Amino acid sequence: MEEFFTYAPAIALLPLAAFVVALVFGDAMPKKGAIAGIFATAGSLGLSLLMLAAVASGEVHHETYYEWAVGDTAGHTAAEGIAFTFGILIDPLSALMLVIVSLIALLVHVFSLGYMNAEGEKGLPRYYAELGLFTFSMLAFVFADNLLMAFMFFELVGLCSYLLIGFWFRTKSAPSAAKKAFLVTRFGDYFFLVGVVAIGATFGTLAFAGDGSFVAEAEAALDGGETLFGFDAETWITITGLLVLGGVIGKSAQFPLHTWLPDAMEGPTTVSALIHAATMVAAGVYLVARMFGYYALSPSALAIIAFVGGFTALFAATMAVVKDDIKQVLAYSTISQYGYMMLGLGVGGYVAGVFHLMNHAFFKALLFLGAGAVIILMHHEQDMWKMGGLKNKAPVTYYTFLAGALALAGIIPFSGFWSKDEILYDAIILGLESNVFLAAYAMGLLAVFFTGFYTFRMVFLTFHGEPRSDAAEDPHGIGWSVKAPLVVLGVLSLVAGVANLAPVGKLLDLDIMFLEGWLDGEYGGLEELTYGFYGDMLPYETALIGGSEETTLLVAAALSLGLAFSGAGLAWKLYNVPEPTEHTQRLGGARDVLRSNYYQDEVQVWLAEGVTLPVARAADRFDQTVIDGVVNGVSSVSLFGSSWLKRIQTGLVTNYAALLVAGFIGLLLVLGVYGGWFL
Amino acid sequence: MFPIELSEWAALAPVYILVLSAMVLFVFDSINPRTTNRAFLAGTTTAGSLAALAVAVWFLLAGVGTPQADGGFGAISLFDGQLVVDQLALFFIVVVTVVTSLVSIASYDYMKGHTYQAEYYTLTLLAATGMATMAASNSLVTIFIALELASLPSYALVSILKDNRGSIEGGLKYFLIGALSSAIFVYGISLVYGATGFMQLDAIAENLDADYGPLLGLGILMLIGGFAFKTASVPFHFWAPEAYEGAPAPIAAFLSSASKAAGFVIAFRVFTTAFPLEPTASVIGVDWTVAFIILAIVTMTIGNFAAATQTNVKRMLAYSSVGHAGYALIGLAGLGAGANDVVMGAALMHLFVYGFMNTGAFLFVGLAEHWGVGRTFEDYNGLSAKAPIACVAMTVFMFSLAGIPPFGGFFSKYFLFTASIDAGLLFVAAALVINSALSLYYYSRLVKALWIEEPVLERESLSQPVGLYAAIVFAAVMTVVVLPGFGPVADAAVDAAAAVVA
Repeated sequence: MEEFFTYAPAIALLPLAAFVVALVFGDAMPKKGAIAGIFATAGSLGLSLLMLAAVASGEVHHETYYEWAVGDTAGHTAAEGIAFTFGILIDPLSALMLVIVSLIALLVHVFSLGYMNAEGEKGLPRYYAELGLFTFSMLAFVFADNLLMAFMFFELVGLCSYLLIGFWFRTKSAPSAAKKAFLVTRFGDYFFLVGVVAIGATFGTLAFAGDGSFVAEAEAALDGGETLFGFDAETWITITGLLVLGGVIGKSAQFPLHTWLPDAMEGPTTVSALIHAATMVAAGVYLVARMFGYYALSPSALAIIAFVGGFTALFAATMAVVKDDIKQVLAYSTISQYGYMMLGLGVGGYVAGVFHLMNHAFFKALLFLGAGAVIILMHHEQDMWKMGGLKNKAPVTYYTFLAGALALAGIIPFSGFWSKDEILYDAIILGLESNVFLAAYAMGLLAVFFTGFYTFRMVFLTFHGEPRSDAAEDPHGIGWSVKAPLVVLGVLSLVAGVANLAPVGKLLDLDIMFLEGWLDGEYGGLEELTYGFYGDMLPYETALIGGSEETTLLVAAALSLGLAFSGAGLAWKLYNVPEPTEHTQRLGGARDVLRSNYYQDEVQVWLAEGVTLPVARAADRFDQTVIDGVVNGVSSVSLFGSSWLKRIQTGLVTNYAALLVAGFIGLLLVLGVYGGWFL
Repeated sequence: MFPIELSEWAALAPVYILVLSAMVLFVFDSINPRTTNRAFLAGTTTAGSLAALAVAVWFLLAGVGTPQADGGFGAISLFDGQLVVDQLALFFIVVVTVVTSLVSIASYDYMKGHTYQAEYYTLTLLAATGMATMAASNSLVTIFIALELASLPSYALVSILKDNRGSIEGGLKYFLIGALSSAIFVYGISLVYGATGFMQLDAIAENLDADYGPLLGLGILMLIGGFAFKTASVPFHFWAPEAYEGAPAPIAAFLSSASKAAGFVIAFRVFTTAFPLEPTASVIGVDWTVAFIILAIVTMTIGNFAAATQTNVKRMLAYSSVGHAGYALIGLAGLGAGANDVVMGAALMHLFVYGFMNTGAFLFVGLAEHWGVGRTFEDYNGLSAKAPIACVAMTVFMFSLAGIPPFGGFFSKYFLFTASIDAGLLFVAAALVINSALSLYYYSRLVKALWIEEPVLERESLSQPVGLYAAIVFAAVMTVVVLPGFGPVADAAVDAAAAVVA
């Protein structure tokens, strides 16, 4: 099946072609470029599935396609020069991600027929062109075989989200949200870029895999006890790893760079689905998984990842509780869910993190597309307090949305339960040994309660009770292009958990942990990129409750399930009534804090206006006075010297003769003394 | 090829052609003393210098002076080595004749209505003869004679505007400083002769005698004085601002381009042939490059700084010409550090490009004088509205003189810069950069005046004299096209330099 890999570049190039086609011919085409996008992403999906099959048959594809620059300068440890290349790496992780991304992209394209075309939006060729470029960037990022290429497409992904978030650029809020997303993620990417340079300069290579990968070089340096840039190897690996993590935190909307994501709701809902489920936000977590071997070398970096993840999971979940806009709730839930993935990766749960990434892609795409369907139903109303009672009027939307909600809340047997449970299990067995991980686990666990609550608050307010507005009384119809993607994703949300039923497998001693086997290279893969290999690198010690794996599993599962049910139950009690009322008043002072998102935006604005602006002003003043002063001083000195020199030319020829002879004698003295003529 | 069939004396054909043209004008003038037949006078001069140019270029291409090992005819030595025709000589004959033709074409319009027309062109041709002979001189005697042959007509030419006080005053100052410098120069010759017993340059090199070290050193220094006068280098530059300002603009162009180039060619030849660096240093106890390093830095600095705040355009160009002499001196200052041919080749290239851009700039001033717009920067305000083509050409000259990339001046200056760095002369390189930066200030001031400033007074439409325009536009085109054509010029320059530095 190796020959399939010949088509690997086409996975990304098809959407790129769709981008060009939609941009150039979009206006002339039926559906304004949607068809091109659908065919391209369907092609990508087909090819990705072929890749998946090829990898399953034991093949791995790692090839350099283009070398665009070669540097002579060797890295700190490597002897040879550094090469900058474009290459493709298709291993179990990237093959899986390719399928996810191309599937979601395809469904989003189909859904857009109903959401954008049917609503008579303007600028559709631009929309589909940008979607195509977005998909292309993400797919190329996913199969990148080196860090620099990953960085370039990471940036392109950021650019595309900027374009799409600001799609309705004539409104006031969309361009502002787009700029915010661009700037905040760029702030993180700045660290990423420094990290890329640092890694390249240290190890002389940026390759993810292969004998000379930077991960292998780092491990060798660590084993050899080398000193890198004045630090011992582990400290330096931690520093560079954290620099790269800056980009991850920005893109995956982790605290404190999460503030752009809720605003990004200004884009079309389809775009939100793509951004949240499969592209922009997923890119960050995927990058951590891609270079997990590197992070595995640094326990400190992993602990930071885990703690940030746990904190973000809880932090974002609390904010979601008080939101009234259906998309806002989903936005905060995204931040929270990516926190779980980071927690999972941070505690060494590589499989758990990737598992949740996959499940989340399905159920979050589902929820967003569902929200999109609700928005169509509601004639573009997004306030949940004006909805209600849609359950009977739009059963397909309701049941699929419910499936997504159950997965998000982590209710057994929906997919979200299995992956979240696995993350929490991986966290608790470390937490019993270490306080940092225990704190991260506790925050993650507590967030389960909030997740259950806000998810079902959203479901009940939207679909249950009595209609609370005219639009809810008489909803707009929805077509097959909206329903089909919902059904596909609804089914996936229900059954995707089957991929890795870890607790069941362990309790019943069955070999049904397919994803773990997949990522462990049982079906094929590069040895140094497998779960088992990473596991051996991790220096963690684990403990079990009562010394028994079964007990620990059951306790962890019972705790998270119990909290999810109680959260959902509280929502049931408060909001599943015919005429629900706001209960946020009961929160007292906490309500304002939560509604204001912990004043995060205010803090960031203050940072910009209170700190950066004065510093910039000071720099400007320095430039105006000192630098300009020096430059102006030089020119005044020159002009003064000039007017002084002019005066030598007196106009009297006798003076000239005297100066001429004096100059000649001066030269004679210099040379004579130098040459010893007068001795 | 054809030249092999000519006798050796034919190698000096360009010089003969110049002399012959001068004689034709003499005869014409004696038959018809008060002639104002400008077409014939300027035409003969132009034809003569173009013919000399054509022959010199033909010789260069045919391989006269190219070492026999490279398939050429080798350097042709005449009159027992008193004169020599090699690539260096031909290269500079080309520069001199190019400038002479440009100047004579431009003079057709400029000299309209002036007296002493025939004398003007005859003297120009004789001075050009002297300069061409300087390029070929290989003995201190012939050098001195050629130098005087170039100088004496120049004095007369500067003061040829008899009813103009500035012209007379400039000419007299030029003559007085010239006399002093010639005295120093001829004294230097006698000292060198006393120390070595020879006048012929190769013979001097073989007879450097350690017993007379200081005497020889003083002699060499006095020779440097003579060259410094001819090239308008500090401290022998005092004549230049006043002579250039007072002289008719084409003559200022002629002196600042051709005469300067001729001064450099004898300096290059004397110091590379007669005083090879290491043997001379062991005799006089010091590298003579030190003198040129000092002169180069001081000359470029004083020239550029004095130019910076001038209000009179011609005077600014005069000082800028002093500054450019400093740049070309790097060709001598950088010798002895390895790539001699590259260093001197860079100076040769600079003089070649300078021959076009500086001549063109002075001719533009001549055009402005022809229009009668005035002499200061302010008087030039807004000229572009009336004479856009000439102003584009002037802008090209200014930016090329400053060393801005697309033009020839950038490349020659860049080669000088890299050559001085390769030679380890970091101070010289730094001075070159600083002075170039400063020079951009005053060159762009003129460009600003031409294009951006509003004219002080309303002007009538300006005439378009054909000769001046043709010369200016041709010089501008050459300043630009030496860029694609720089390969052959650079090769010729480096070959010419290699012929003498070996």
